[in-house]
Amino acid sequence: MSRDGRSALLFVLPSLVLVIIFSLYPVIESFRLSLYRLILTLPWLGQKFVGWENYGDLFTDPVALRSLVTTVVFVAVTASFEVALGLGMALVLNAAFRGRGLLRALVLIPWAVPTVVSSQMWRFIFNDRYGLFNYFLFGEQTYRYLAPLADPELALMSIMVADIWKTSSFAALIILAGLQTIPGELYEAAGVDGASTWQMFRHITLPLLRPALLLALLFRTIDAFRVFDLVFVMTQGGPADATNVLQFYGYKKSFAEGMIGYGSTISVVVFLLAVIFSVFYIRLLGARVLERTGRA
Amino acid sequence: MVTVKPVVIAFLFLVASNAGAVQLRFVTWRPQPPWLWDQAIADFETQHPGTKIIPEVGPHSSTEFHDLVAQKLKNSDAEMDVFFMDVIWPAEFAAAGWALPLNKFFPANEQRAFLEAPLLANTYQGQIYGVPVFIDAGMLYYRADLLEKYGLSPPSTWPELVRQAKFILAKEKDPHLTGLSAQFKQYEGLVCNMMEYVSGNGGALWDGQTLRATLHLAKAKEAVRFVRDRIVGEISHRGVLAYQEPESLALFTQGKAIFHRNWPYAWEVASDPKRSKVAGQTGVTRLPNFPGGKSVATLGGWQLAISRFSRKPELAWKFVSFMTSSEMQKRIALHAGRAPTRKELFSDQEILKKNPQFSSQIDTFMHAVPRPRTPVYIPLSNIMQRYFSSAIAIADSNIDQLADLASRDMDRMLDLLRGRNMP
Repeated sequence: MSRDGRSALLFVLPSLVLVIIFSLYPVIESFRLSLYRLILTLPWLGQKFVGWENYGDLFTDPVALRSLVTTVVFVAVTASFEVALGLGMALVLNAAFRGRGLLRALVLIPWAVPTVVSSQMWRFIFNDRYGLFNYFLFGEQTYRYLAPLADPELALMSIMVADIWKTSSFAALIILAGLQTIPGELYEAAGVDGASTWQMFRHITLPLLRPALLLALLFRTIDAFRVFDLVFVMTQGGPADATNVLQFYGYKKSFAEGMIGYGSTISVVVFLLAVIFSVFYIRLLGARVLERTGRA
Repeated sequence: MVTVKPVVIAFLFLVASNAGAVQLRFVTWRPQPPWLWDQAIADFETQHPGTKIIPEVGPHSSTEFHDLVAQKLKNSDAEMDVFFMDVIWPAEFAAAGWALPLNKFFPANEQRAFLEAPLLANTYQGQIYGVPVFIDAGMLYYRADLLEKYGLSPPSTWPELVRQAKFILAKEKDPHLTGLSAQFKQYEGLVCNMMEYVSGNGGALWDGQTLRATLHLAKAKEAVRFVRDRIVGEISHRGVLAYQEPESLALFTQGKAIFHRNWPYAWEVASDPKRSKVAGQTGVTRLPNFPGGKSVATLGGWQLAISRFSRKPELAWKFVSFMTSSEMQKRIALHAGRAPTRKELFSDQEILKKNPQFSSQIDTFMHAVPRPRTPVYIPLSNIMQRYFSSAIAIADSNIDQLADLASRDMDRMLDLLRGRNMP
């Protein structure tokens, strides 16, 4: 190994050790546990190796399958809304106007509020008696008030609204960073050529913004797969299991029911789903980004 | 330097003042009224100088509180000494080796002073794991003024309750008024509520003897169908499907519910003019039954238990013993409206004066039906919560199919107890 290589290794070592301890080890340990039957409240059954049995059970467990569908719907809806809204917010924040700094800070507030706090807030907003949601829809006609968190069809939607409210600004932040890397000369040149604002957006902004958009989508997708706190605070998975997302189901299995093996299996599946999506996005994204930086 | 000094001094003072104190961590939920519990802790600290109780407040919901406590126990957390335990957990915590067996501190002759049902719930394979602080049983609260206005007497059967509610709703024409406010959210309280209908109709959650699921049987399904079609479908607004105890009680104390199912503490709240708009206009009685069946009240209540991982079990016991003493139970009964677990207190004049309903309720307490004891209660409950919520929250739910599914899942769990194959 060359001297450069060795010193490079030395510099990388601390982060490598951290990654191994805090990322790799838990993943491997979860995977190992997912091959066992281990139920904390029945210690006399011991820890028995069962191979892929937990996985077989998971894919025939109607609750888990429904939970998977719920999770996928949640991810698809929230991630796309968040990136679309984030784009709109970023375009506004990128424009030059008085008080832009203040607005930029304000937009980040939802994202800075701890999720548990904002979940509690949304639980009140969606309350069937005094919730703001009902007040906006029906005003004084209180007898028409809905109970979104008690309705299997509205409950998931309510949680998605809370998530979109909270994290759109995060997407906006990433997209704003992307916007600022687009050189102003391009717009000047296009202006000289007589391009309209829409044409500039369509042919300059959007293509050059693609890496940032994909990055925002990647972050939001992975994060959305792990949705837990909103469900925990707002609905506990109900009503009629309508908001029982995979992470919450896994949590219930591992931490409430003490079924460590089966719970780990669910975690591993969520992890793999997130990995698959990440690889997919990174391939889309990586190819382009590398191409561009390679040429530069 | 000048600004740092006071901070340093304050810090040193803190260290010094705590250095001598032995700390006892008590994991509790937010007690009502808070002053009562603060005072109890202060009294204990005065009686035991050098002891400091550190309360750690967990969530109100039994389901969420369980997850918090179980998590600490699973991690062998030596920080937690004493904790509140719902009546359904002792078997689980005992089997897992998480709760300390208390026989050495709490011998049979002392146990005799307590009501039998909660003691039994705390016993697992001959050992006792908790001391009951108060006992709960489902009760029916009603708006005495409304019933009187229409010449009705409290309903003795569920169909009668629905008829009365519909009659009053039609007459009152108040769109905010709801027939029955109860706990129908997908959580442990749902199981308590539904058991009263299912068992009251001659069904059961499962058979504790043969360890067989029973929710797919006709009697059980009939009761569930009744709740879906008659209660949620006809007299209650859909909001009840997201209610736990506090929300459902608030509706009643706001005067927006004719009937209300809750635990005994609701009496204290509903009768307090500061907290209730219907103080003095309410009544309480046993829950209705189905025609030909008997009234079933779910046994609830909270116990104090000591963690197996506590390093101060002796001191922890002193605290548990203090909090479950006759004097403390009396205070809790007087100021929190919680029904005591010591038999003698049911003839205490002061308590009966404040809570006249206790004298007629002792019968309900004696006959309250416990949820079956098992170390896999939580997984079974999660299956039942899912089933009950799906069955009643969707107007055209396929109850037959949902019940079969629930029974199948419960059987797989119960099979584990027989040492058979596991899911």
